[in-house]
Amino acid sequence: MAVEAARAQFHAEGRPRADWAKLADRARKLRQLRATTVYIFLIAVSLPIILPYFWLVTVAFSAKLGLAETGVLWRSTLVLVPAAVGLWLAAALSRSRRQMWLGIAAVTIIAAASFAWLVGPDLHLGNFIFLWERDFASVIRSRVGEVRGAVQFPSVWHAFGNSILLAGSQTVIVVSVASLAAYYLSRFQFPGRAAMLRSLLVLHAFPVLTLIIPLFLMLNVMGLLDSLFGVVLVLVAFELPFAIFIMKGFFDAVPWDIEMSALADGASRRQAFVHVVLPQVTNGMLAISVFTFIRGWEEYIFVFTFLIRNTNWTMSLYMFFVRDDIMGVDYGVVAAVGVFYLVPSLLLYVAAQRYLLQMSISGVKG
Amino acid sequence: MAKVEFRNIAKRFGDVEVIPDMNLMIEDGEFVALLGPSGCGKSTSLLLLAGIYLPTSGELLFDDDLVNNVEARDRNVGIVFQSYALYPHMTARDNIRFPLRFKKLPREEVRRRVSEASDLVQVADLLDRRPSEMSGGQQQRVALARALVKEPQLLLLDEPLSNLDATLRLTMRTEIKSLQEKLGVTTILVTHDQIEATTMADRVICMRAGRIEQVGPPNDLYLRPRSIFVAGFIGSPPINFVKGEASNGSIRAGRVIFGATGEATGAVTVGLRPEHLRFSDEGLPGRVAQLEPMGREILYVVETDCGYIRLLEQSVSASQPIGAKVHVDFAPTDSLVFDSSTEVLITGAQMHPRILPGSN
Repeated sequence: MAVEAARAQFHAEGRPRADWAKLADRARKLRQLRATTVYIFLIAVSLPIILPYFWLVTVAFSAKLGLAETGVLWRSTLVLVPAAVGLWLAAALSRSRRQMWLGIAAVTIIAAASFAWLVGPDLHLGNFIFLWERDFASVIRSRVGEVRGAVQFPSVWHAFGNSILLAGSQTVIVVSVASLAAYYLSRFQFPGRAAMLRSLLVLHAFPVLTLIIPLFLMLNVMGLLDSLFGVVLVLVAFELPFAIFIMKGFFDAVPWDIEMSALADGASRRQAFVHVVLPQVTNGMLAISVFTFIRGWEEYIFVFTFLIRNTNWTMSLYMFFVRDDIMGVDYGVVAAVGVFYLVPSLLLYVAAQRYLLQMSISGVKG
Repeated sequence: MAKVEFRNIAKRFGDVEVIPDMNLMIEDGEFVALLGPSGCGKSTSLLLLAGIYLPTSGELLFDDDLVNNVEARDRNVGIVFQSYALYPHMTARDNIRFPLRFKKLPREEVRRRVSEASDLVQVADLLDRRPSEMSGGQQQRVALARALVKEPQLLLLDEPLSNLDATLRLTMRTEIKSLQEKLGVTTILVTHDQIEATTMADRVICMRAGRIEQVGPPNDLYLRPRSIFVAGFIGSPPINFVKGEASNGSIRAGRVIFGATGEATGAVTVGLRPEHLRFSDEGLPGRVAQLEPMGREILYVVETDCGYIRLLEQSVSASQPIGAKVHVDFAPTDSLVFDSSTEVLITGAQMHPRILPGSN
């Protein structure tokens, strides 16, 4: 019978026996190779970003003469690279959690001590003079010699406030408009819905620089040139499509059931949205808030074009003029302004990391 | 508490007609089950009742009042979804309290009602947990409490048990039924599980493709299914169908000719429930192809000239081994003869296990 034949075939003698030990060994080696490759790749791609930051921070805290002195840079590299290798070795070679912590502690202590000895004496806060000295430009100028055509600087805190205002109001507008629009796109059928969704992404694809002259003229006609509000409007327009798209993904992930349930429980459509649907997408709102805020914080080209008075300067303009107008030579102060400029976005990223990760998991699937 | 009536209700989504024309009366305090396969329009009917969907045409009446255009929030209908639809960001207490939030009740009253409802379904000790910290059964209870806290005139249950494990399903079945009896609230259960429907409801409404196939007490649907569809849907393990040709006093099914009584002519489909069949010395000959012990019962699959026949034997150990030559016997009164073209039961017609000469 056919069944008998199939059974005989299945249990046939002489089928090669698998060498499990060898196969396991090969799998282990492959896994190790893969892990090493991934690490090398990650380090290679992050170096071009990490190195400039490293330069920026070291120079900001150590430059004395306004030159890009490299001595401190090399000495701190001498400490940090072996420390990084040491930490990695400690983690890789330790056989227990206790050993690992001991190894890490040892490496950290040695690194800290040698850092204090080799680099410590050269560190100072002198380059952050702009934070407390209103007329710091004169101080610097006296250091590098007379510079002609110098700019009158506003207080850095004024520029800082402008940046916060710009990024903050942009964020508030983008998050509220994107949430409402995305909810509507996610939940309601209306003619042109599919076309709208497609065009959302296309809108995001154009290089914004091409529009800078028409926008300049438009803002001029509207009387919004040289006003923060005008720049906010332009930025909002460019940020909205992508924010809506992301938020739609979050709303799509909210089950219909709980919304129906809220309606049956006596809520109006608006109450259901506020009390039941919106709390499910707070992570999405946080994520787009962070991205939009940082986008506004780093904004350079529009503020450079549309803002004129120095009382309207944002941090990016402040940084530009520090570099450009007075002291193309004092790298110490330029670096210090850079560090001051990047601290808020760094803090924001660290604080919101959890929610940003969420976005890649649940947000962009729909 | 309310009486509910569907009058010529139709519901279309674009070009798709989910419910063509539905007429149904549900009495005050009754427990009915809407039974049917997925996509038959039973959940749509439920959402029509809740006011989430509006009927395309027809009239929906609560206690003889037209409610077609009454908004969901004003209908005072409690609903439990298959997914429970608890609000994930709220504790159980806030979930149960949610329906009262829009009613502007005094705080004392709210507290009293929440604790009553949670006592009723025994979730008083879970009130501070969030849905993610509760098991499926607990979520189910909280969802029930949330539906009951507003003292609804109508309780709608959409597949409430299908996400629970088998034992819990049994417990909740009993609990929901006794709860309904205690409160006397008009309850409509939607399910695709015939056992749920027949065990819990006073009346079962069997639906197919948006139309009501049969309405009646559970026993009626089991004993006197009006159509092939109902016969096939009710009963577990499913009924056997034998297709044949009826002519004066006999039904020819393939190479076998059965005796018959009643007024059946032309193409017929005969339904034989596995639990009504037994092994005997006479009847339809066949060979045991497979057997499945189910605890108290054993399900045999018998290969016959009329195809594979399922037979249920009330016994712990098998009386027939695989491969045994057997005869399948049944009482003529247990056979259900349907007209194959209209798929409707031919009343009075019976098939006999007696094999007539001429069979080969």
